Amino acid sequence: MNPKLYASIAVIITGLVLLYGISDFPTFGDPRSPANSGVEGGAPSTSLYYINESYGATKVPNLVTSVLADYRGYDTMFETVVVFAAGMAIFAILRCFGRDDEAVITAPTKSSIDGDHNRIIVGTTCRLAVPVVQIFALYVVAHGHHSPGGGFQGGVMLGASFILIALAGNLNDALGRFSERSYMTLASLGIIIYAGFGVLPQVLGKNFLDFGVLEKFFLTDGPEMARSHSMLGVEIGVALTVMSIMFAIFANLSSRGTLKGGL
Amino acid sequence: MTVTIIVISVILILTGIFFFLGAAVGLLRFPDFYARMHAAGKGDTLSSLLVILGFAVYQLHDFHSLSHDWPTLLVILKLLAVVLFIFLTSPTATSALMDAGWEDNVKPIIAEGRSNHLEDDCDDA
Repeated sequence: MNPKLYASIAVIITGLVLLYGISDFPTFGDPRSPANSGVEGGAPSTSLYYINESYGATKVPNLVTSVLADYRGYDTMFETVVVFAAGMAIFAILRCFGRDDEAVITAPTKSSIDGDHNRIIVGTTCRLAVPVVQIFALYVVAHGHHSPGGGFQGGVMLGASFILIALAGNLNDALGRFSERSYMTLASLGIIIYAGFGVLPQVLGKNFLDFGVLEKFFLTDGPEMARSHSMLGVEIGVALTVMSIMFAIFANLSSRGTLKGGL
Repeated sequence: MTVTIIVISVILILTGIFFFLGAAVGLLRFPDFYARMHAAGKGDTLSSLLVILGFAVYQLHDFHSLSHDWPTLLVILKLLAVVLFIFLTSPTATSALMDAGWEDNVKPIIAEGRSNHLEDDCDDA
């Protein structure tokens, strides 16, 4: 009868199930929980192994990056593929070529902040802000080894800078700088870079994504620095894919798949 | 010297928190969209600037020599960059929101007997 009543019942039941699930969690900071075991004495565990060994094995001070991009390289590679697949799904569902149907006609051709006076304020600020955002994004990508950051975060910032151009002016401005051809190419190129870093060790007779053997390519002393450099390369691939897919999703959603005018 | 710097930074941070409080009260108590955005935009910008400037001043409290303490100077420069960025972007976001509200025909509340002179400016739009 009342949709709000049914929604409330569903929400309450879901909340109770979630609360019941919490009761199985280990208490916060429990030294015997699986994630913490071995840190304060006790049996050695995976987390203690990463804390003790990962810097020596990869020469990357940021444990998160070394675990994400090297120890669990498969996981991260297919995370990137998931992002790519999301972009392709949006493209396959929304993109329409050359059809002047009702959706195209009713799509707004002018930005809502495209007034005569406010375009100056917003446009000028965005023109000042976009290069700073992009430089900071490159810093986040390149500095992912030493500080929080990495390919996903930097890629999102790069994509957001193009979305900012589209929001401040209109979609055609942004598409002039980053065309559909470019973002489709770069999205695929990111995956190819990541997978290429996996295939190169295979060519040299090691396992997929086993970066240590790449020391001959990078002219480094020892496999540890080769791992560090390979992680940077992998992060660049991730950043390219995430940046392109972010902008592709925005462009397709905001213009209802026509890439003409739009928001 | 150290005490002076800490006192200045505490005064800056407390002033910033005071303006944050004013922005929050204005956001809740003002009658219409434009007045609320006025409180949120102005108060938020000024208070963020004051609080972050307070942090930057506080970093100076054990600053001795340029050659020894350059990481501290780097932190100050980063904080000042944040200040500059907020100073540029926050008023712009407020302006864009105001304009979006105006174009979506959100009517301001105007006192009895007064005319909305903004209507005259925007007739051609």
